[in-house]
Amino acid sequence: MKKILFLALFSIAFTQTQAQKLYGTRNAKVSFIATNDEDVKAVNNEVASRLSDKGEISFSLLIKGFKFEYAEMQEKFNNDYAESNKFPRAEFKGTISNIKDINFTKDGSYKAVVKGNLTLHGVSKPVTVNGTITVKAGKVSATGKFPIVMKDHKIEASAVTEKVNAEINAVYQ
Amino acid sequence: MKKWVKIILMLGLAGAITGGIIAYKILTKPHRDVTTEKAIAIKAQALFEAFKNDEAAANAQYLDKAIEIEGEIVDFSTNQDGQVVVNFKTDDPFFVINCTFKTNPGELKAGSTIRFKGICTGYIPDANVVINEGVLIP
Repeated sequence: MKKILFLALFSIAFTQTQAQKLYGTRNAKVSFIATNDEDVKAVNNEVASRLSDKGEISFSLLIKGFKFEYAEMQEKFNNDYAESNKFPRAEFKGTISNIKDINFTKDGSYKAVVKGNLTLHGVSKPVTVNGTITVKAGKVSATGKFPIVMKDHKIEASAVTEKVNAEINAVYQ
Repeated sequence: MKKWVKIILMLGLAGAITGGIIAYKILTKPHRDVTTEKAIAIKAQALFEAFKNDEAAANAQYLDKAIEIEGEIVDFSTNQDGQVVVNFKTDDPFFVINCTFKTNPGELKAGSTIRFKGICTGYIPDANVVINEGVLIP
């Protein structure tokens, strides 16, 4: 009798557990622009991102994927500032702290508060991003903006800028 | 005008012109163009294995280099800036070689094998190897 009861409870519990839905893209867009010089800006269109409807979100990109308008600037960025041969990737891993406010099955624009860590130039720093999750006709996208201070990640770029404003735009498959 | 004034003015002008030429050269320096570079020819599966097995060694060999990759198209799409992106198949269903075209490759078909020449920007574990600024090799 006990065995039957146990099995019954177990199977009920099992069916109640909802499988999480995962969204992904290999071509999210991340751009940044220096706060003191509009000419210093770059775009990366090969950003890998994963989002779960339980609130986990991550972004990974290759530093060499940033395209600048000026080739000389791109070279200096890679060789002198970001040192992309030593630190080829930048990563952000976080969670949407207000995930309960977001309904992935209902069309709408939802404010998302994302708390996580940004690893850039080998240095990890906590970041909070106020972003937006948009659900439209079954497609999910995420956008967000946040500042990055060069010194926080031991990037010696004071000759160019102390801070950049980064912008993320992910359209999930 | 006194002679020494003339000399200083000439030097000043020469300096300004030189500075102008240097600035012009910096601002108009061309971006890398893979079509003129000699590339390392490799198959999609081999490139994936190289990075999966030893990222440091694969970076030393392929990072920032012109790569001519041959592979089977899993899918293709357009990125947010209107460029065509092709994903090449590997034996890992979750892993592809993600390739972005600089120029429009024309009509593509999933399942067909093509050759793509671009610049390898590196490896994202559990996701893909990224190659960009590419062109189609007929």
